[in-house]
Amino acid sequence: MKNNLRVERAIKNITQEELAKIIGVSRQAINSIEAAKYVPSTVLAIKLSDYFGKTVNDIFFLEESD
Amino acid sequence: MNTNLLLPFKFRKLGWIIFIPSFILGILVLFLNVEFDWLGSKVFTIYAGSGLKIFNDTDTGQMFSFIPGNYTQTLVGILCLVSLMMIAFSKEKNEDEFIWRTRMDSLLWATYINYFILIFCFLFFFDFEFLYIMIFNMFTILLFFIFRFNYILYKERKTMPYEK
Repeated sequence: MKNNLRVERAIKNITQEELAKIIGVSRQAINSIEAAKYVPSTVLAIKLSDYFGKTVNDIFFLEESD
Repeated sequence: MNTNLLLPFKFRKLGWIIFIPSFILGILVLFLNVEFDWLGSKVFTIYAGSGLKIFNDTDTGQMFSFIPGNYTQTLVGILCLVSLMMIAFSKEKNEDEFIWRTRMDSLLWATYINYFILIFCFLFFFDFEFLYIMIFNMFTILLFFIFRFNYILYKERKTMPYEK
């Protein structure tokens, strides 16, 4: 699964650390989601997209391999 | 993720405080046969005998009785196990679903490695040498887990390529 979390974060101009704190997860979690190394749970995906005022589909996309 | 299965964060430090002296003592007990007299001269046993001939007519074993012995090994072994469990299964300060998954991955990884090594030792070690390996094997699964889990978290902390 791909995502444009990094882009959204750049638009809002906040660091991984700040975003992690707001959402209530570790910085490692945000980093590995952005690096597409970790697929977040539905709960976390909704929390993230809520924060950016978008839907989950606006931020997370399926890849062909999914 | 069910973090209720984990101990509070502060237990990890306590775990290290107990583990380090217990480990040193464990080495002394195992290789130099250190024994503390104040830990008794008799131990309670469920079964003791010459091998598992429990249902045999010629069995000379004793059940549910006191036999000569000392609790030094017992105490040191239990302290090592309990403290390692504290280190392994205390929450991270920022425990979340990503850390939980890293934890589960590491546990699986540690189990594979541990039993792979055990199978190897099964093939090439016998008698008392194998008994020593079994003693170490009780602790290595937790040690492998602690090492793998903390290494992955350390690596993630170090590489933050997308930090702005």
